[in-house]
This record gives sequence, C-alpha cells and structure tokens, in this order.
Amino acid sequence: MALRLYRGDLLLIVALLVPLVVAAPRLGWPPGEAAALLGWVGRVSGIVGLAMLLVTAALSIRLPGFDRWFGGLDRLWQLHRLLGFSAFILIMLHVLALGLARVPAGLDVAVLTLFPPPSQLALWSGWLAWLAMVIFLAPTFQFFGRLDYQRWKGLHMLSAAALLLALGHALPLAGETWPWWLLGALGAGAMVWRKLLSPSLARHPYRVECVAPLARGVVEIALRPEARGLGYRPGQFVYLTPLDESLTAGRGEEHPYTIASAPHDPLLRVGIKDLGDASHALQTVSVGSRVMLEGPYGDFFAAHHPDRDALWLGGGIGITPFVSAARGMADLDEGRGVQLFYLANGPDRAYYLDELTRCAGENECFTVTAHFYRELGPLTESFLRHHCPDYADREIYLCGPPGMIGHLRDLLDAQGVPAARIHCEVFDFL
Amino acid sequence: MNKFAYSAFIAFLASIGTLVSVHALSSDDETDGASETRDITLDELAEHASAESCWKAIHGGVYDITDYVPDHPTEEEVILEWCGRESSEAWDNKSPGRPHSPGAERQLENYRIGRLVDDQGEPLSGDVEETSADAERQDARPAASVSPAEDQRLHQAMLGQPMDGHYRGVFTDRGEIQVNITFDLRDGHLTDVNFRHLAYRGVDYLTLEEGDDLYPVMVQHRRITEWLEGEPLTAIFALYEPARVVDEVDGFSGATLRGAKVISAMRDGLNRGVYSWP
Repeated sequence: MALRLYRGDLLLIVALLVPLVVAAPRLGWPPGEAAALLGWVGRVSGIVGLAMLLVTAALSIRLPGFDRWFGGLDRLWQLHRLLGFSAFILIMLHVLALGLARVPAGLDVAVLTLFPPPSQLALWSGWLAWLAMVIFLAPTFQFFGRLDYQRWKGLHMLSAAALLLALGHALPLAGETWPWWLLGALGAGAMVWRKLLSPSLARHPYRVECVAPLARGVVEIALRPEARGLGYRPGQFVYLTPLDESLTAGRGEEHPYTIASAPHDPLLRVGIKDLGDASHALQTVSVGSRVMLEGPYGDFFAAHHPDRDALWLGGGIGITPFVSAARGMADLDEGRGVQLFYLANGPDRAYYLDELTRCAGENECFTVTAHFYRELGPLTESFLRHHCPDYADREIYLCGPPGMIGHLRDLLDAQGVPAARIHCEVFDFL
Repeated sequence: MNKFAYSAFIAFLASIGTLVSVHALSSDDETDGASETRDITLDELAEHASAESCWKAIHGGVYDITDYVPDHPTEEEVILEWCGRESSEAWDNKSPGRPHSPGAERQLENYRIGRLVDDQGEPLSGDVEETSADAERQDARPAASVSPAEDQRLHQAMLGQPMDGHYRGVFTDRGEIQVNITFDLRDGHLTDVNFRHLAYRGVDYLTLEEGDDLYPVMVQHRRITEWLEGEPLTAIFALYEPARVVDEVDGFSGATLRGAKVISAMRDGLNRGVYSWP
C-alpha cells in the first residue's frame, strides 16, 4: 500500500482518535509504576481496539464513489483488513494487560478480573465478542488454511455479532458512551446497508446482449442496461451478480469484474477469464438473461499528474482496464502520450490486441507494444528501454496477475523509479 | 499479517492459559498442604519416641518435630517427654490452662506428616478426654447463645477501660493495608470516626465515585462510621453482624469489606494506645 494519505484516511484517523481523546482526561498520562502502567495500557488498547473494530465495520460499506476517498476499493479493503487485524491484536492486548495489572493484588484477583462471576454480563459480553472475532477471523487470516470464498463470506457475518457484543461490553463500562454510540451506529449502519439494503437498492439490472469469445477461456460479455446505465470511468470495476437460471455455479453470487468498454459505449462490457467456478460458468451465460451490477468502484486511472506521459503494462485479463481506456481515448482527445506494453504468453493469448492496435492507429499519442513470454521470456529492462526510452519518467500503471506485478515492480524498483509513480490494480482481492 | 495474527492469537491463549493454570495450581498447593495426610496408627507413632526421631500426635494430626526439638525454647526433656505419644494435653497446657499461641500453631503445621488413626483406620481426634470438659464449659457459659455482637460482658472483658484520647489503627491482610481508621474516645464514647484509608484487592475505595461498581461498598462503610458516632466503644462489636448496622451489606460479592475488619482496625488503635491527647 502506498504511503500516500487520502482524504478518507484523515477521516479514519479522526474517527479512531475520538474515543481516545474523549477518554483522555480519565486516562491521564502513562503512570510509572508497572502494574498501573499495565492497567493504563489495557484501557488504552481496549479503547483503540474497539474504535478500530467499529471503524473496520464502517469501512465495509462499499458505496460507489466513497471508495475513491481511500484510493479505490482495493485499498479500502486493505485498510479494512489492516484495521481489523490491529483491532484483533489490541483487543487481546487489552485483556492480557488488564489481567496482568491485577497480579500484584494476587493471582486470584487477576483471574477474577478476567473471569468474573457470570452476573458480570458486560465482561462476558466482551469475551463472547472476542470468541466471535476468533471464529470469523480464523479463516480470514488463514489460521487453519484457506476456506471456500462463499463459506468465508457467510462466516464473516459473525462480525455483526462481534460488533454488538463488543458494544455490550463497552457501553456499560465506558466512562463516556457517546463516541461508542456514534462509531457503533456507523459500523452497524454500514453492515445494514451492505447486507440488507444494498442488494435491492444499489444494484442496477442489465441484460446480456452478447457473449463474444476472445480466446480459450476468455469471453467479453456485453450488457445492456434495463433502465439508466451506470456512469463510470476507465479502469473502474463492478460487482456482477448473474441471475441466469441455467448457470452451473455462481448464480446470485456477486464477483468483481473490470469494465472493458469505453464510458460512452451504450453497452457495458466486461472481459471475463475462466479463473474459478463462477467465472467458468459465466463463459456460457445465456444471452438475454439478467445480471445485476453494483458499482462502479476503483480509481485506477485517478488523476495523478495528468500532464505526464503514461506507461501502461497489462497482462492476462489485467489488460481490460487499458482496453476501456484505449476505447475511450478517441473521445478524450488527450494530449499526453501513452504507451501500452501488452504482456502475453503468445499471440493466441493476446486477446484485444487487434483492437488495441487499431486504436493506436487512430490515435497518434497511443502506441502498443506486444511482448510474448513464450518467445522472449520475462520482460527485460532493455526491451522496455528499447521501445520506450523515457519509461522511467512516466506515470506507470500495472495490471495483471500477481507474478507479473511482482516481476515488474522489482524491475522498475531496480531502475530507481519512485514507488509513488507506480499505480497498480491488485487483481486477487475479494 | 496472517502469521502474525496467528502467533498473537496463540500467544494470547498461552498467556491466559498460564495465568489460569498457575492460579489453579497455586490454590491446589494450599489445599493439598492441608488435606494431604498419611494415616498413622498409635503403634507407628510409638516407634518415634526419641530425639533421633520425634513424632507427636496433636488433636488428630501427627507431626515430625525432630528438626524442631533443638529450637524449642524450653529444655529438651520437657519436649522429648512427649515424643511418640498423643500430646494434645501438653500442647494445650503450655503453662497450666494456657495453650500454645496461634503463631506456634502455624509453625506446627509445617511439620505435619499425617493424621492419627486407630487400628481400623478411623481418625482419632485426641480430644476424647476433653469432650466432657468442653461440655462442662459449655454449660458454665449461659451466654453461649448470645451473639458476639450483643454480649456486653464479652465486650467489657475484651476492651478493658481505654483512656479518652485520639486513636489510629490499621487492619492489614494479604500484604495490603485494607482499613486505616481514626477515632476519638470521649467518656468512653466514640466521636470523629473516619477512614484514613480503605482498600481491598488494590482498589482504593475512598477515591471511588458514584457509578463505580464498588461505590456501594464504600457507602456502607461510611454508614458504619456514621452509625458509630456517639456510641459507646463496645458498640464496635455490633459490626460482627454488619446487617444490624447498615442495609444491603455485601452489595458486590467477592469484594466486600467486612465489619470484622473495622473492629480489628479499631482494636489495633486501642492496642497502640492513645495517638494524641485531645
């Protein structure tokens, strides 16, 4: 994750600090004596941990446009994951520190602090919240291996229980409760929107207009909006939920796909590669069947230095955001030069290449270079320099499978290209 | 991140597990020390009747005091005389009619090796001869049914006639000062009764605020001092049954301060003597 701060990040920092600042007069400075210091650490980690848990819940909202405050949905998910992880760690530190802080008063006091009589409901509510967290985070952090995506998603719903139980723990014990009501309402509201309201309110109905095979295991599906279509920019993606009853898998399940069409296109097109059960089934989706789209999300081509020439490096199905941008280029009349390297295994896997080459022919600012792995091996610096001598001074956009991204990042890093100038669409997030 | 989350999770479980098991084990130790007994018959006891190996049965317990004999304050013959025998009588009559001190009793427990049983393995208390004497004592005490909180004769006997003045006393337990109390005596009556310190299990009760869990306990103690105001000194014994004095005693189970502690702190003050003259 780039270290750049987005305006949404500032909002997060404020939300995380509010409970701590409100509790600060009560907490005071860290005391010097060991047991008192542990107690202080226990309280602070509890406050920050709970704030993180609630903010993490709030970040699950997935509102089109909102994600761009955080640099796109993939970065928002990374923040969600990082904050959830930190909350989990801090909450355990909270328990341990408060327990150990009482050891000087006797082991039985320490144990009684952590495991009080059952009548202390608020404390046990905290334990239950932790237990719920363990259950839904164990597959998230792969404690016991990877779980099937849909089951993981179902289990992740336990986070709602964790949130309510955590509030049930904090509200009776906290000195000032309004920050918890506020953050709790944000978190719970985000979950209610995401799981209960957005499926009916935020999804747009489309019909499958045609399914065009591009290569083996890759199709482009053209979708016509039933009502008003989504407005989007190149590089954005949508969550697509097919409703076709003849599908063998993934019916009614949402998955993210990058938009390949130009924004002005009356049809919305997505390129779909057979990478799993759901995308495999979509290869043969029925023409005329209905799909629901939610979005758009992402901010791949955000306006980072629009004056600077761009270098695009796309591979596999990661070529789709560049296809969208190339198709839309004719309208934009962009002044900056764009050079696209299409990294494919061979000519048979270089789908969209013909169309991209045609676009390049029509637009003098745009050039396309194909690079075939089977003939040349991994992309080398000399190949890059030969075809694009000023590549190191350009704004660089990468999209493709993780192995390719890793290779390119290493290559660019070795040439001293600053990380801030490299923009990357991560293709294996949820 | 995955590995770290997993490691932290395991470390957390391990730490909590350690805390709980150390607690469980250490409390087991205490009970084990008291309950772990080997059955010892009078015959076996009789085999250890010398300075080389001196066992004694006292009130049902058997103690190997061989190592202690040289440290005993009286001459060795006095203590060796009872080796290998049922020695409760000697224990209870350090000087005629006076038993050994509670401190000595605690010390004795360190030497416990088992319990005295008869040939059938039934425990022997060693108090057989005393039962009739006990019964007599019971009979001779008509006030036996009177609660210690009410027994005026007991109160006078325990307190004597302390001088008027300003007193300060403390009750400590589990390594912490739990009660520190100050009071004045005027004509044998209590005035200006105040807590200088009130704590339990690390919680300083005097700093609690309304709304804190333990706040009611603090209020109950404040009521105790209010109630004592103007009462004769012997009234402190009513605190043996604090329900006579304040309502809703024991508002929070597991963290009560008992009336007995207040009595103890006040009597400590009386023992120390007048702290300052009025």
